[in-house]
Amino acid sequence: MPPMTDDRTRPSFWRSLAELEGESEFREREKSEFSREFEEAGDGQPDRRRFLQVMGASLALGGATTACRWEKEEVLPLSSRPEGIVPGEPRFYSTSMELDGIGTGLRVTAVDGRPIKVEGNPLHPESLGAASIYQQASVLELYDPDRSTDIVRRQTGASGANWGDFDNWLRGAIGPFRSRRGHGMAVLAEPSSSPTATRLRRQLLSSMPEIRWVDWAPNNRDHEIAGAVRAFGAPMRQLCLYDEAAVVLALDVDPMNPARPGALAAARALTRGRQPDQTQTMNRIYSVESCFSMMGALADHRLALRSGDIAALAALLDARLSARIGARADLGPPQVEPELDLLRTERCSRFVDSLVTDLLNARGRAVVVTGPRQPPQVHSLVHRLNYLLGNVGRTVWYLAEPDGSAAGPGQVSALTGLVDAMRRGGVEFLCILGGNPVLDAPADLDFGAALQKVPNSLHLASYEDETSQKTTWHLPRAHFLEAWGDTTAWDGTVSLAQPLIEPLYGGRSIIELLSILIDGQAKGGRQLVRETHGQLPDPVFRKALHDGVMAGTAWPRLIPSLRPLGKLNLAEGAASSDTLELVLAVDSNVYDGRFANNGWLVELPDPMTKVTWENVVCIAPNTAARLGIADGGRVHLTANGHSVTVTAVHAPGQAERSVKLALGWGRTAAGRIGGATRLGVPAAGTNAYVLTSARQGLVIPEASLRATGERTLLATTQDLHAIDQYGREATNARLGMIVREATLGQWLSHPDFAKTAVHHAPLLQMWQPPVSYEGHRWGMSIDLGKCIGCNACMVACQAENNVPVVGKEQVARGREMHWLRVDRYYKGTPDQPEAAFQPVPCQQCENAPCEQVCPVGATSHSHEGLNDMAYNRCIGTRYCSNNCPYKVRRFNYFNFHLDLEKPENQVKKMVYNPDVTVRSRGVMEKCTFCVQRIERVKIQAKNVRRPIAEGEIVTACQQTCPTGAIVFGDLSSQQSQVSKLQALDRSYALLEELNTRPRVQYLARIRNPKPEST
Amino acid sequence: MTTLTDVNAFQGAPQGDNVFARITDNVSRIAEVPRPPRGWYIAFAISSSMLLMFLANVGYLVFTGVGVWGNMLPVAWGFGIINFVFWVGIGHAGTLISAILYLLRQTWRTSINRFAEAMTIFAVICAGLFPALHIGRPWLPYWMFPIPNQMEMWPQFRSPLEWDVFAVGTYATVSLMFWYMGMIPDLATFRDRARTRARRTVYGLLAVGWRGSSRQWHRYEKAYLLLAALATPLVLSVHSVVSFDFAAAQLPGWHTTIFPPYFVAGAVFGGFAMVQTLAVPARQFFGLKRLITIDHLELMNKILLTTGMMVGYSYGIEFFTSWYSGNEYEGFAFVNRALGPYAWGYWTMITCNVVSPQLFWFKKLRRNLWVTFAVGVLVNVGMWFERFVIIVSSLSRDFLPSSWGYFRPTAVDLMTLAGSFGLFFTLFLLFCRYLPMVAMAEVKVAVAAREAH
Amino acid sequence: MTPLVFPRWTNKLRVLAGVLLGVAPLYVIVLVWYGASPKTTDVGYMPKQPVPYSHALHAGELGIDCRYCHTTVERAAFAALPPTEICMNCHKSVRTESRNLLLVRESAATGEAIRWVKVHDLPDYVYFNHSAHVTRGVGCVSCHGRIDQMPEVYQVKPLSMSWCLECHRAPERNLRPPSEVTNMTWKAPEDAVVYGRRLRQRYAINPPTDCSTCHR
Repeated sequence: MPPMTDDRTRPSFWRSLAELEGESEFREREKSEFSREFEEAGDGQPDRRRFLQVMGASLALGGATTACRWEKEEVLPLSSRPEGIVPGEPRFYSTSMELDGIGTGLRVTAVDGRPIKVEGNPLHPESLGAASIYQQASVLELYDPDRSTDIVRRQTGASGANWGDFDNWLRGAIGPFRSRRGHGMAVLAEPSSSPTATRLRRQLLSSMPEIRWVDWAPNNRDHEIAGAVRAFGAPMRQLCLYDEAAVVLALDVDPMNPARPGALAAARALTRGRQPDQTQTMNRIYSVESCFSMMGALADHRLALRSGDIAALAALLDARLSARIGARADLGPPQVEPELDLLRTERCSRFVDSLVTDLLNARGRAVVVTGPRQPPQVHSLVHRLNYLLGNVGRTVWYLAEPDGSAAGPGQVSALTGLVDAMRRGGVEFLCILGGNPVLDAPADLDFGAALQKVPNSLHLASYEDETSQKTTWHLPRAHFLEAWGDTTAWDGTVSLAQPLIEPLYGGRSIIELLSILIDGQAKGGRQLVRETHGQLPDPVFRKALHDGVMAGTAWPRLIPSLRPLGKLNLAEGAASSDTLELVLAVDSNVYDGRFANNGWLVELPDPMTKVTWENVVCIAPNTAARLGIADGGRVHLTANGHSVTVTAVHAPGQAERSVKLALGWGRTAAGRIGGATRLGVPAAGTNAYVLTSARQGLVIPEASLRATGERTLLATTQDLHAIDQYGREATNARLGMIVREATLGQWLSHPDFAKTAVHHAPLLQMWQPPVSYEGHRWGMSIDLGKCIGCNACMVACQAENNVPVVGKEQVARGREMHWLRVDRYYKGTPDQPEAAFQPVPCQQCENAPCEQVCPVGATSHSHEGLNDMAYNRCIGTRYCSNNCPYKVRRFNYFNFHLDLEKPENQVKKMVYNPDVTVRSRGVMEKCTFCVQRIERVKIQAKNVRRPIAEGEIVTACQQTCPTGAIVFGDLSSQQSQVSKLQALDRSYALLEELNTRPRVQYLARIRNPKPEST
Repeated sequence: MTTLTDVNAFQGAPQGDNVFARITDNVSRIAEVPRPPRGWYIAFAISSSMLLMFLANVGYLVFTGVGVWGNMLPVAWGFGIINFVFWVGIGHAGTLISAILYLLRQTWRTSINRFAEAMTIFAVICAGLFPALHIGRPWLPYWMFPIPNQMEMWPQFRSPLEWDVFAVGTYATVSLMFWYMGMIPDLATFRDRARTRARRTVYGLLAVGWRGSSRQWHRYEKAYLLLAALATPLVLSVHSVVSFDFAAAQLPGWHTTIFPPYFVAGAVFGGFAMVQTLAVPARQFFGLKRLITIDHLELMNKILLTTGMMVGYSYGIEFFTSWYSGNEYEGFAFVNRALGPYAWGYWTMITCNVVSPQLFWFKKLRRNLWVTFAVGVLVNVGMWFERFVIIVSSLSRDFLPSSWGYFRPTAVDLMTLAGSFGLFFTLFLLFCRYLPMVAMAEVKVAVAAREAH
Repeated sequence: MTPLVFPRWTNKLRVLAGVLLGVAPLYVIVLVWYGASPKTTDVGYMPKQPVPYSHALHAGELGIDCRYCHTTVERAAFAALPPTEICMNCHKSVRTESRNLLLVRESAATGEAIRWVKVHDLPDYVYFNHSAHVTRGVGCVSCHGRIDQMPEVYQVKPLSMSWCLECHRAPERNLRPPSEVTNMTWKAPEDAVVYGRRLRQRYAINPPTDCSTCHR
């Protein structure tokens, strides 16, 4: 076997040889996951070593192989191949991933024992076949070489310890607490609704009732639950049936943000009401928010208001509606109309007027919803509004919160209590299960310092992170793709989670650790899960495992009785008119920081700002002008007596006198991507947690902003260079042709507006037809009315097509590699803008400009109308990119896979899709409509001489799109969905005037603002 | 025109009244003196160290990737192609002077054609390097040549880049032959004057047995005439083809029918500017004042003025067409050139290429060496920026505003550009030192012709 | 010093020079064309295998069907090498003591893989699919040669791109009834091309020659 460095000098295109791994022996383990010996995987160590050796060997070969004959390549067949395993063929497993207590059902593709692609499980109510960026990118984390590999014991500093040692220590250490019924012991866990975890927790607390158990996540639902308790006297969760709603009002919340529970389902439901082709009707969405969100972009009416002022608006709304509907004794007294100037502005009152009329017209068919940012009183008022409008029981339902996590005083106060106890020395043994409190606990609690006061502490975490470095024990946590478990969806549906691979680094799951805490015995995850669902007979259990959902486990829908509410305290959380409000939010990409080392997510552009690799202060252009803050200028942001230096970005649509900063960045112990002091890697972005406090939630009424005068070059994927006036004029002039949209009324009166939006010379063909297509004609339709800009398709594409992560400097130079990009355009005035999203993959032109200019014919037209790209033929003149009007081609300016040659990074290769060539330096690459998927199905179908069924071939982006905005298919069949969509009158081709005849067509966006007349 | 019969024309030349002897002696001496003037050494030291820098940067590029340049997306072509077009342009004057002026019997050309040709060769060498270096996989440019192979893959002849390969290739070959052919009689002269064995052998071989027999002269003249006739269309074809790289693309700002003539004019313009830049110092250093006279320089300045105005006209007409076409993409492309983020580049180009040559309306300035030299340099700068403007400003903002970008050159970009000048001047200085800088034979013919009257 | 003037005999050199200049490019082309082609570099490659397995014996004399061992050839891209247990099906009882089979028995006992050496090795950017060819009726012998006569397997065909294209452009010559794919000695009942053309008709076999057919 030649050394890895060999192919560094040679342009060798390699893919990790499926064959090789297919037959290399870790495949056995994949099989044996479900067999007994894997269950008691107490000694992960030797197995793991062996495993990695084999991996290393096989991958090394994969890497070093080129066309050169004289290179010897080995094939390692299994000594015995399990039934049904076909080397190199993908297999699919159902599992589910939990994010802060909400489970999402997934379908994971594994090739030769390597999970390589995470997709949604169509049967799961939370997913409906889609997967958010978090779930899709999780597979990259699985193979992250920065994940913690060893058990670390802080006092001794010994890092060689194994689970055996730990178990012995724990049995000894926990003894005294057992006798004291757990007194002096505490558990700080990330919220979980896993039935098994809940069961074990109850078991633990029943055996040691004195244990102080605290749940903590920065993205917690305290306000929501407190609001529900105010309104109903019991913790309840709201279930909105958006697809049955005619009018939706979102108060400072983006229900489609993947950080929200039920986001994927909400996105699908909301957009289902926005395809007027058959019904000619649409739902109408109102959004009041401080920060421009995807909901705001989708909305027909959007009002930018400071988060602190939204309570007042809600009160106003309640007053107006109550007045019109008449008092309802059962609902208590209405709010009095607040006397506030900001509600008297012409824009605001017009907004409220049309909102009130719409809500009244849509009684029983409306949804009012708010989010975690808003104080409890707004939540309770929103419940009242839904009752007032008679939505409850029709478009809005309630589910009883499961006991456990939700109950109690709320996470913040519980955590505050715990920290006090820790400081007082009342906690002798603290078990931190997941999470990263040292980073993300409210800054004023100073959790880190308190932790030092705890004599014994352990942290179970995937990474040796900020918290792990302060606990006495760090324990590697098994990735959810490595462990057994179960989760509960927002609506209560239970799904099982099964491992697809043996723990690469011998980690353990939370439930496995809990089982030791309970009785000192390390039970296997499968056993624990099976016990939880002991009542199920094996066939049922196996079916649940196969389907990924347990049928009929959803909770009953309730209509709790609403208590009368007091008058809203509008002072609470509201900023006075002249101060600057700071809104902190979990990041759209790295969430609360746990994904900060995930290259796919860190390099993913923010949906609105399109900034990558860091968090920025979003500030309204006018406010910025007033404060003299430049776009891209560095600023000092001060709040709660703490200050950070961060880059400011002019964000149209941000509320005046309100700025937003995302949490989760600025990690000091994330890894080679997110930043790690230990490795000398500077942090990506700025840590905003230092501004948080336990008193205030994530909305801080008083903050101050001061320009430093410095400027930085942001790594943005759009508007890379500040657009000057002429550029802006040209952009606005073109917008109408690029993103074609109309109001419902306009569209009904001019159904063909999209076709006639551009005046151009007749498009003549040099050949008729340009190319003769027998058989399939692949095409795609993208519905701009349905695209919410969530970027899920970009991650899907990256995972499917082995698209590299290039790093901040390269993005700043404009060399990002995403094959599929989501363009964001602002329209209207900068202080009241609308936003539109446009996903742009390769348009697969029939008259492809790229094909005509390649001097070596590396890109050419296939018989099915694809612009094939032969990477191994490309010499990299980049002429094709120059001539591509859509600029969808991406170029490998360097060998972006070079770091994989480092031995410690070998494991990263395991994530690659063996069906797609990994491109080396100096070649052009681009979207191919996932040709590998097309070919696979074509070959399989032809093998048994059957036609290809409609919808059998699905591109990665289409598969994961939560709203079904992307549809791929065969244009040569009139029955195919794509041909039907492209036949619609609102279907148009981007830049059609260039006569490129793209195979991708867009459906013009129809919006439904309230007609002015009424 | 001052005749060459004035006595004691050249310092250190043998006394006597034999003009031909003086010419011979004066030119050969340059190559024969044991050490060239100090100026040569200084110049050579500078240029060769720049050449070294060039090689270092190229090595870095080849081993790391073309990403060490500033190229990005959408601006996928940066300095690499700019320099390529720039150098090809420089390469024009040589053949133009030698071939076309020869056919037009412009005898004054004889004094400058030799090193104009040399300049052409060296410029084309520089030009040829860049396309090979700018591609992503610099070890594979041979895939652009139609070589039979086991893949059964041929180059794509629809691609303008493919046309380039042949256009530039042909041009290089013919220019080389033309240059060498012209040198043979002079090389023979060197051979005959050789005092050392080495010179005798080397020049002897290079002179391929030239005896100066009337038969040889007869054949020589014929061949030279034919080559001239062959080279002439190339002058027009090469840069036209190069311009197709842009004209045949559909990018706003590139997709223009005016490009071929516009590029040729520009090339001649730039080429002559470079000749001036070289001629002025050369005649000083090597005491050729009497061969390359002020009149010659003035004539060339007139050409500069003419071609400069052609180029200016092209700039103007581009704007007119883009406006008149009513195509807003085109329209914006040009507004963006003049007023967008790269306006500074555009106005540099206008100042250097259109404004500065206007000085030559005045005879005084036309005949002033300093002005001549300065304008020559300015025009070279301007012509480089012309390519910069065409390539970078057009690419940086095309159809979809979402993919607009801003190109920033890297240090490697700049060093490579500077280094290419190092390569050019190193070759040129070596040529001055070791080869007949002035076409002695032709000058003599010219003189003889005049003497006859 | 007398100037160096070419002596008369150099005139003869002109012919030689002319010939050389004429032939040299031709020579280079030929050199590249043949010298660098897989026909020269790859055909005949016969690496040493860890176990002296003889196809001549098993496939030839014993007449075991290819698919007995290469089980996935009809449904997958890879004609997987057989797991050791398949060997042991027979060798549990046959030649149980043979020292040649030492590695095999070891592998069966320990579960360690036998490290076979790949013979037919395509570049990694080429996606060849066995099932796509076998089910269409392209015989094993077409690409692998008379395996049944090879004591040690070696490469018979160049496996070069032009070689692939040859067949993709005119598959008739290599088509046979799908039932006969593993038959090493099959002969077309009539003229191969005519017969092949008929099969092509029947099974609608139009092998594409797009880039994406093999490169993805």
